[in-house]
Amino acid sequence: MTEPMPPGGSTSGKEGGALTQEQPGVSAASTTLPLRHSLRAAAIDPKLHDITEKFTEACNALKIGQLVKDEYFTLFESIGALEIMDTKMDSGFLQPGETLDEVYDTLAPLLPEEVIGIMDQLLCYEMAWHTGYPLSQTLLTSVYIDKLLWPEPRSVEQAQFYRGYVSEERRPGLLLRVLRAYCLALVKCVDSGIAVITNRDFFEEEDICTHTYNRVLFPQVGADVFVGELEDVIQNVQECAEEYITDDLKKAMLVRLEFRKNFLAALDLECPLDQLNKHWPLMQSNLVAINVTHQLGKPVEGSFSTKIQRRLASTVPPRPIVVLEFKDAFEKLKQLCADCEEATRFTSLPQNPLEYQSFMWAFASRSPPPLTYSRSYLSNLLFHPSSDLSILLQSDLGSLVFPASVVLDPSNWALSPPQNPNLPKDKRFQLAQLINDFTERAGHAYLEFWTALGQNRCRLRRMLCHAILGFDQVQNDAYTIDEGIMALTQEMGSAPENEIMPYPLTTWSYYRKLWMMEKVVFLGFEQDIYLPDEFAAQYHFLSTIASTRSRLLTNVSTHINAKYRRLFAAEGQTLRVATLVETANYVDSLLAESIGVHELSTALAKFWMVVLYLGLLGGKKLARPFSSPELRYELRMKPFWTLQPAEVPPFEEFRRDVWSYGPYDKLTPRFLEDLQNPQAELWMELDEAVKRAKEAWAQVKRFGAKSARAEGVEESWKREIQGVLASCVALGVAVAGIKGQAPKDLGEIRVEIPKVGSGKRYREGWVVGKVCRG
Amino acid sequence: MSDQTAQPATDELHYVQYEVEKEDVYLPAIRQLISKDLSEPYSIYVYRYFLYQWGDLCYMALDSSNNLIGVVVCKLETHRSGTFRGYIAMLAVQESHRGKGIATKLVCMAIDAMTARDADEVVLETEVTNTASLKLYERLGFLRSKRLHRYYLNGNTAFRLVLYLKPGTATKRPPEVGDFGQYAQYGDAEEELRSREGIQAQTRIT
Repeated sequence: MTEPMPPGGSTSGKEGGALTQEQPGVSAASTTLPLRHSLRAAAIDPKLHDITEKFTEACNALKIGQLVKDEYFTLFESIGALEIMDTKMDSGFLQPGETLDEVYDTLAPLLPEEVIGIMDQLLCYEMAWHTGYPLSQTLLTSVYIDKLLWPEPRSVEQAQFYRGYVSEERRPGLLLRVLRAYCLALVKCVDSGIAVITNRDFFEEEDICTHTYNRVLFPQVGADVFVGELEDVIQNVQECAEEYITDDLKKAMLVRLEFRKNFLAALDLECPLDQLNKHWPLMQSNLVAINVTHQLGKPVEGSFSTKIQRRLASTVPPRPIVVLEFKDAFEKLKQLCADCEEATRFTSLPQNPLEYQSFMWAFASRSPPPLTYSRSYLSNLLFHPSSDLSILLQSDLGSLVFPASVVLDPSNWALSPPQNPNLPKDKRFQLAQLINDFTERAGHAYLEFWTALGQNRCRLRRMLCHAILGFDQVQNDAYTIDEGIMALTQEMGSAPENEIMPYPLTTWSYYRKLWMMEKVVFLGFEQDIYLPDEFAAQYHFLSTIASTRSRLLTNVSTHINAKYRRLFAAEGQTLRVATLVETANYVDSLLAESIGVHELSTALAKFWMVVLYLGLLGGKKLARPFSSPELRYELRMKPFWTLQPAEVPPFEEFRRDVWSYGPYDKLTPRFLEDLQNPQAELWMELDEAVKRAKEAWAQVKRFGAKSARAEGVEESWKREIQGVLASCVALGVAVAGIKGQAPKDLGEIRVEIPKVGSGKRYREGWVVGKVCRG
Repeated sequence: MSDQTAQPATDELHYVQYEVEKEDVYLPAIRQLISKDLSEPYSIYVYRYFLYQWGDLCYMALDSSNNLIGVVVCKLETHRSGTFRGYIAMLAVQESHRGKGIATKLVCMAIDAMTARDADEVVLETEVTNTASLKLYERLGFLRSKRLHRYYLNGNTAFRLVLYLKPGTATKRPPEVGDFGQYAQYGDAEEELRSREGIQAQTRIT
């Protein structure tokens, strides 16, 4: 607390911290206010003490502006402080003549077009909530919804636009009953939405606000009850004579009720997996009809009010109602339905973690980005109770490092330890134990990886940075387990299925880690994190990671080929041979892809290096008086500094590679000479890299989506590969525009960076400059 | 250092450090200047939170009649990650005086003061669309470290900008990691949640 209080303006802490530290008596006195729940149980018999005098006296000892707080009172908490009597902060402050509550009469009869209007207004607020605004500024501003939910009804029956007794003539007629059923179903839709989102251990409060402000949204009542309410009024409306509701209004009303019914069913968390794909397509036809009949509705602005926020359990003052235009809300709704419909395809994917991964990645890459609900919906399918993460992980291992191997033979898990502990354990049993051990150690990082794939793109990048550290530890742990596995398989004899590659688990963990590192850099370009003068450096770094990944995959490939030859020569191994061929295809596709990433990023690193030397981007050089290249390098490489083996080259080595011709602002004679000589190593290497990149990506394309384990998202996979190939071509063109030019001829040339999201990049992460004249 | 970068500011302006003793003189003007560009006002407590604890990291540009033209508000404390981290919380310049390098000068003074107090790094957030603010900090040496989706209450997305002042900052660790319990797991993510309610005061500068 700061003291003394200026007249008409005091401050208070939001909860805990400063306020209760200083005024132990106050918390009991304020429990009647609808504040958030206290962590401590309420005192049974509160004793009230008037401390005003003591408090005022104590305050006199403080200087103006002096802060009294404990060391745990953070900035976040200080932001929650309010000023009494400030209109923007004090939720109880009334302007002269202003009433505390809304005077809107929820029992006044409505016209059919008004009911339709309100339904569409509600839809706008519902979608505003889905895009991240709190309920307090959206749906809970509806006077109708407020009446239904407060005071808290004990049953659905009691949730009416009135409480207690109303005279016969005031009782709601058909139209109000229609609105009530619609509102109740809408409330349940929000409840189901929150259930799906909070069902995951980790979700983002920045994306969606799940706070219900002490309003209870019928979590205990099944969706069928609300469907029943809707069906009742649907029937009533259908039977209603035309003189009451004209035919077109009736149709408009019915399609909205039908839509709500389908939406409710689709959002239901209890919906069985095999029924999932039924509901979303049904809504498509509803949507079209809602859109064309929207103009029939007549909005009732008075039925929404910011004042309701005063009575919600929130310490923040009333904030303005969020306005989302119907056409925007409608687009969001369409997107939500399309995304969720796409997500249901997850259940019919080939059962393979790599297919899942391709699907999740493609889903997160959809444009516009899927809303939180859709992403949670998909994550719920991935983490469905019927799926087992350790099985997923073992299948992942099998797909890369243990194809057709005794190590993952399911029968290993059927064995038991010998009854006599002095007898040696079966080797297969021991193998199962080692794999179990690894599964346990890797489980956390592996879970984090899958969780990351369900986040918004910004958070995906940050969580991958964290998962990389997890996998670094896993890789470290894998080493010892690998030695155990290698020793056991060696003892088991020379049958081809006993043959394993050296350090398989280490290889797998390392492979996963490198893949994520590439994605972090790639997403950095996609999210506009890197400044133009970092492009060369970041593509150079990407090329080194990709080349390490290529080397790793080459080892895997060598092992698989050798094993294939042995298995092929042996008898009765048809099944194993088939598995191995499948893995070989996958690894070949990965290998081509890693070479593609390596070559294209090498070429881009060189291209941007030349552009930066020549200053073709225009604009002034950044002075950066407080920084140095070394410090910026350290900051940029922070997520990777501690990795083992070391992935971040020492600064000097990095400087040599990225600033081959000295600092960017000094053009050396050697650079000028190379620049004008098309045969110079610089250009030869650049052209070669572009050529090899094209070849590698063309090869990935030839191997196809099935080999890349992206069969479930073949279309978007093809688009992606096509985008990369187009980037290679564009780079070739850009290089040709600069190569061999004398600096004096470059005067008219400038290089444009296609902006993120402008549609001018073939792939967001591959930034190819456009060479322009004039 | 700051002398090299700050554009020559308008002649009659002078730059002074905030003084807690003169709260009644300075604070109302600071509040007014900062809250002008904010959709949600901060209570006086937020200002005092910074100014009472880190008044020496707050600098003001005053004209010859001592009217407040620009202000920068900061804090500096040990971060969970183990670094001694400076944070530029608020920066604002009167609209009529923008484009003259006043904000740059204020930020430079703050960074110089943090450097003198042995800070490892300086961080802040700013809206991805606030080009003037991004340019200002990037000219000084800041890099974008991450993108924060819907960071602000108005739904806008932010960049976190970071400036390292000392080598070895990336690998600094807190003395006892174990003390951070479950929060250590998600590191910065947790911090993002904590601060997202708040500081959106890198106002438009030009």
